[in-house]
Amino acid sequence: MISIDAKKQIDVWIAKYPKDRQSSAVMQALKIVQAENENRLSADTIQAVADYLDMPGIAAQEVATFYENYNHKKVGKHVIRFCHNISCMLNGADDLIKHLENKLGVKTGKITADGLISVKKVECLGACVGAPMFQINDEYFENLTSDKIDQIVNNLK
Amino acid sequence: MADIEIEIDGKVVSAKAGEMLITVSDREGVSVPRFCYHKKLSIAASCRMCLVDVEGVPKPQPACSTPVNEGMKVHTQNDKVKASQKAVIEFLLINHPLDCPICDQGGECELQDVAVEYGSDVSRFSEGKRIVPDNGIGALIQTDMTRCIHCTRCVRFGLEIAGMMEMGGTGRGENLKIEPFLREGIQSELSGNMIDVCPVGALTSKPFRYELRSWQMNSMPSIARHDLVGSNLFVQTYKGKVKRVVSADNDWVNETWISNRDRFSYEGLTHKNRLLEPQIKVQGQWKQVSWKVALDYAVKGLNSHVLKHQKANQLGGLVSSTATMEELYLLKKILTEIGCDNIDHRLNVKNLDNIITLDSNIKLDALEKIDYALIIGANIQLEQPMINHRLRKATKKGADIDVLNVMAFDFNYLLNTENITAPNKIVFTLAGVLKSIMTNNAQELPDYLAAVEVDEVANNIASKLLNSSSSVIILGEHIINNEDASTIANLVTQIARNANSKTLNLSITANTIAANLVGFVPKNSGMDVNTMLVSDMRGFILLDIYPQYDFHDLEIAVKAFTKDDTFVISLNGFKDDIVSDYSDVILPIASVYETSGTQLNINNDMQSYTAAVKAPKEVKPAWKVLKVMADLLELPGFHYADSTQILAEISHQPYAKHTHDEDINLTSKYNSISTIWQSSPYSIDAVLRHSSALQKTKIGQMNSAYMNQASAETLGLSADDKYLGVPVVITSAVADGCVFINANQATNTQEQT
Ligand code: SF4
Ligand code: FES
Ligand code: FES
Repeated sequence: MISIDAKKQIDVWIAKYPKDRQSSAVMQALKIVQAENENRLSADTIQAVADYLDMPGIAAQEVATFYENYNHKKVGKHVIRFCHNISCMLNGADDLIKHLENKLGVKTGKITADGLISVKKVECLGACVGAPMFQINDEYFENLTSDKIDQIVNNLK
Repeated sequence: MADIEIEIDGKVVSAKAGEMLITVSDREGVSVPRFCYHKKLSIAASCRMCLVDVEGVPKPQPACSTPVNEGMKVHTQNDKVKASQKAVIEFLLINHPLDCPICDQGGECELQDVAVEYGSDVSRFSEGKRIVPDNGIGALIQTDMTRCIHCTRCVRFGLEIAGMMEMGGTGRGENLKIEPFLREGIQSELSGNMIDVCPVGALTSKPFRYELRSWQMNSMPSIARHDLVGSNLFVQTYKGKVKRVVSADNDWVNETWISNRDRFSYEGLTHKNRLLEPQIKVQGQWKQVSWKVALDYAVKGLNSHVLKHQKANQLGGLVSSTATMEELYLLKKILTEIGCDNIDHRLNVKNLDNIITLDSNIKLDALEKIDYALIIGANIQLEQPMINHRLRKATKKGADIDVLNVMAFDFNYLLNTENITAPNKIVFTLAGVLKSIMTNNAQELPDYLAAVEVDEVANNIASKLLNSSSSVIILGEHIINNEDASTIANLVTQIARNANSKTLNLSITANTIAANLVGFVPKNSGMDVNTMLVSDMRGFILLDIYPQYDFHDLEIAVKAFTKDDTFVISLNGFKDDIVSDYSDVILPIASVYETSGTQLNINNDMQSYTAAVKAPKEVKPAWKVLKVMADLLELPGFHYADSTQILAEISHQPYAKHTHDEDINLTSKYNSISTIWQSSPYSIDAVLRHSSALQKTKIGQMNSAYMNQASAETLGLSADDKYLGVPVVITSAVADGCVFINANQATNTQEQT
């Protein structure tokens, strides 16, 4: 279920924590396993991570469902995580989300027909100074405007 | 911790520095509402219901997580506190359905009580409420997660007490849900306690669903009878029926928890298989008759088959291990009076020359203070959940545990080492341990140890025992029919003596300790059970026996009881075809909670209980039946008005202590493959076997004969076969030369296929 390569990567993280505290590596482990499983987690992969880190499945599930970084449904090649928490909301996030939905022709939570992009609404990503903002994969884009969004999205391949 | 003084609501009270404010206020009887706090669980401080006002601190403080210090002045009733309480309740009720009339917790709900006392009269909230779907978590616990207030008591219970984190909080914010992973249902043997810890109607008893309100029932204190812990509990009854069982507090015995079998077994009482009327067999035909007729028939039968011929030595009395102390005593007394010494309770022991005699000399609460335990032959988490819980607590404080088992079992703590050994090797490992210890102590070695090789496992265990200041050696049920059982027990005694260790004998269970105390074993020329079964017997009195579950060999037992001229009086709680086949009289007797009696637990606590309900229909408590039988037999000294008078008489009896024979013979005699037959925890007695919810759980369904590949080949079996009627599971977890059976079915009722 977890590839040898992924296990090696997880081991690097385990090594950073004290002995018997391997479960501290759960966030990174989930991320690594998600990356090699079409960018999503299933009950089986979560259980596999839990087993590898010797922790209860439900404890890994708690982490996997707490953070927006983990996907539990099929997602597009690029995942746009649009912040709609207070700072971003006050700076017009809601309108911009609507704009993005219209541009892509899909609602948040869905994937574009070509499978390229999916959009998620998320809580504060800690970049309030640049509100409104979103994250695409691992990259932040701040001070968004509708024009800027068009430009960024057009460049996604 | 230093003694200090603090002030609560103007009253000066003493406290220990550092203890939590809520502990002090609880002790002083000051009411502080709470949801997440539970005295046996860690502190979450997440619900904020316990806010109080501490002078000098601007904001209200949670009493459950505020340590006290000298001179602290606390107010629990002022306006500031009242306003906070009101606000917290209002927030909690935002998403909580106001459906108390259709909620099972109504009337015993902490949220309902607190809302009435501390909340506001009207709700200002008119928006939509959160709804959480239920996916079901098994046959025992009913979920209504929309009612959950996220106190996380059930999550902490799993993590901290059951030792299996089964519930968790998934999602976050408004989407936070308390649920198990993968929806396999909850497995822990202690999971029913989640019902008691849940403050609201999110987790309730499934078998009790929609039955009654708590105030409609009577609550009677009683004692659980399925194992040798004797957990304290309350039996809740309505119109003469047991409706629910909940735990009672007793730190010395069960703290505040009870196992699932203690909680749900009562369902068996109303099973359609209950035996409700006395019956006699006349010319091969069963007839339901009155008690008078049945007892006359029984006594006449005894007279004509046994007594008339002066053949009391051809009469036998056998009992199940769940009998009450009074029943054991009365039956023994009757038989002794008529001159019969053939009595026994050790029905499942193959070889009574090879029995375990081992005293338990450690108390339940001391178990959590040990620093080392050696467990031999027990799947302790499954078989003795309450005792395992104490050990688990010890491991949390750093105790090491080594295991010597025939199969790798699940443990809810980390083991120091888990040694999987063939049944016939256990004795040598233990001899090695003893040798190592004695060598270390520079003691002279007895002859039988001279040739013993001490391997690494033995050495490690020995050094652990020697270096521990409070250790215990636990001997479990899997050793009962080990070919070396008595030697193993003797070695354990020797090891314990030389390593200054305690011993815990879990090879016996239910009320066996009481059976030993009243001496329900043959004395003088009396025959033991195995001898009776192969002797020419004229009569038997059998107390609550179901041979296909109780004897190690069904056939021999049935053959002995079925003989033409053998008169068999059976006292049973449940109908059973095999019992009907061989009995001449069947007398319906009261089951758990229907009779008064006494249980002697592993602490040697004599715990007496009264009947919580009257037995149904014609059913009578066995002690009364035995008493009347004695009267009809015209035996002297049976003038008991109630069962406490019997108990008073027993207490005056000298305690029949075991004696140890020190002869240890280490020549192992072994066949190629030995079988350990272990009933699943929910099929160990008749009531459990009839409680439907328990039978539906994974533990209730367990029925596997585990063996490794090599053993399977030797026996010519594959994974689709059955062994002694039990489906074969091939796994490397079992030691060589051993089949380990966990069965929920009768012994050997089917032929091997
Ligand atoms: S289910 Fe009950 S015990 Fe568990 S978190 Fe919810 S309210 Fe608390
Ligand atoms: S609210 Fe959007 S980044 Fe903080
Ligand atoms: S009881 Fe103190 S915060 Fe919940």
